[in-house]
Amino acid sequence: MSAHESTWTLRRLHVGELPALEAARVREHAETCEACGAQLRSFSATQAAFEAEVPFERFEAGVERTVERQARAAKEPVTRAAWVRPLKAVAASVFVLVLALPLLYRDGVGTVQPPVMGNRMKGGAGAELRIGGGAEPQRVASLDAPEALRPGERVRLGYTPETHRYVAALSVDVWGEVTPLYPESGDSLAVEPGAGTHWLPESVEFTGVGAERVVLVLTDAPVSMEALSDAARKSFEAAGRNVTLMAPLDVAGEQAQWILLKP
Amino acid sequence: MTGPTPLALKVVPPRTPEDRRVVLRDLYVKYGGSVRERCRYLLKDASRAEDAMQDVFARALVHGDSFRAEASPLTWLMKIATHHCLNQLRSEGAAWRRWFARDEAARSEGHGGAEAMETRDLVRKLLARVDAETQAAAIHYHVDGMTLEEVAAVLGRSVPTVRKRLEAFAELGGEELNVR
Repeated sequence: MSAHESTWTLRRLHVGELPALEAARVREHAETCEACGAQLRSFSATQAAFEAEVPFERFEAGVERTVERQARAAKEPVTRAAWVRPLKAVAASVFVLVLALPLLYRDGVGTVQPPVMGNRMKGGAGAELRIGGGAEPQRVASLDAPEALRPGERVRLGYTPETHRYVAALSVDVWGEVTPLYPESGDSLAVEPGAGTHWLPESVEFTGVGAERVVLVLTDAPVSMEALSDAARKSFEAAGRNVTLMAPLDVAGEQAQWILLKP
Repeated sequence: MTGPTPLALKVVPPRTPEDRRVVLRDLYVKYGGSVRERCRYLLKDASRAEDAMQDVFARALVHGDSFRAEASPLTWLMKIATHHCLNQLRSEGAAWRRWFARDEAARSEGHGGAEAMETRDLVRKLLARVDAETQAAAIHYHVDGMTLEEVAAVLGRSVPTVRKRLEAFAELGGEELNVR
């Protein structure tokens, strides 16, 4: 066993998070141990430097601005190739309506398929596409039938990762145009920590007309959006360029797919 | 000498501007330095780090209930800060892979002596070569100095899984990154 306390233990002592008995023991050790004492002092120095460089008023103003900006971001338009306007109604209420469906995909003839995990089945993970923001009440998009969107309606994507560690989403329109959604470029996103359903940021609205296939993929390793987009294009071509008949993308992991009919 | 402060941070859902200010000041004096240090370590830019730090504390404010329930607010904040910065780099596209390897603009933010600073720098250079979970594990283990058990708890993984990831990471960097 090390003669020194771990850096993390000392850091927790510094912020006052250790239980009283442990704190007394660690503090006593640090008073006689040059290395641990120096480490503790370094935390104080870091905090002092922070306070000297960032006065509380500036910190407070910056955090409050960020809170406001984040709230505004859920209400203001965001321009994307085929999607616009993340908006309020869905964003505001989606967090209190969490209904994660089992992760399923719908094949080309409308049959509900079990979860896809390479060639294996795996339960537990889930995904949800929630529609809201229009005149009608919110609803969860069905996986086994195209979902008609009404004017002004927006969607939001949620996922329950279970053991998966990365998430990505894209859409394909009737012309085979692939739009990476989350993220717009680079590699798939690390899932949010913690159990339960997590919601990808922003609610979005489709523009244009016709069908649009939305695909959400959960994987164990990062996948580039370029590779995912290529897989989507191949699936589109293999389906005879019919977006409603596309098979699941040929990528590892689990995926959910929905078809939305734009107004 | 007085005893340590209580275990859990008293973060309450803000009711009035004054309450909110008290909460923010508590966060500022206890955790501001640590969170900013983490953001600077990963983003390597003082201005962007301050923005990221504000995002992290804004999240603590907005998610006051879950944050308050944490046994260790420090752990919650450092986890969120790490996750936020790594995601930010990733969302910026392919350039993020070069970002970690670039160190001329970086300033070591550590205080554990030359050896610890070298380890932190080495860890950062290697981050682009591993998946996101290994990145987080490596940072919490080598930079934060958490034990394997603590890293496993933060990531919601088993100790053997974390050990395996860290051992794979160590293979990239040599003995300095051995897992004990």
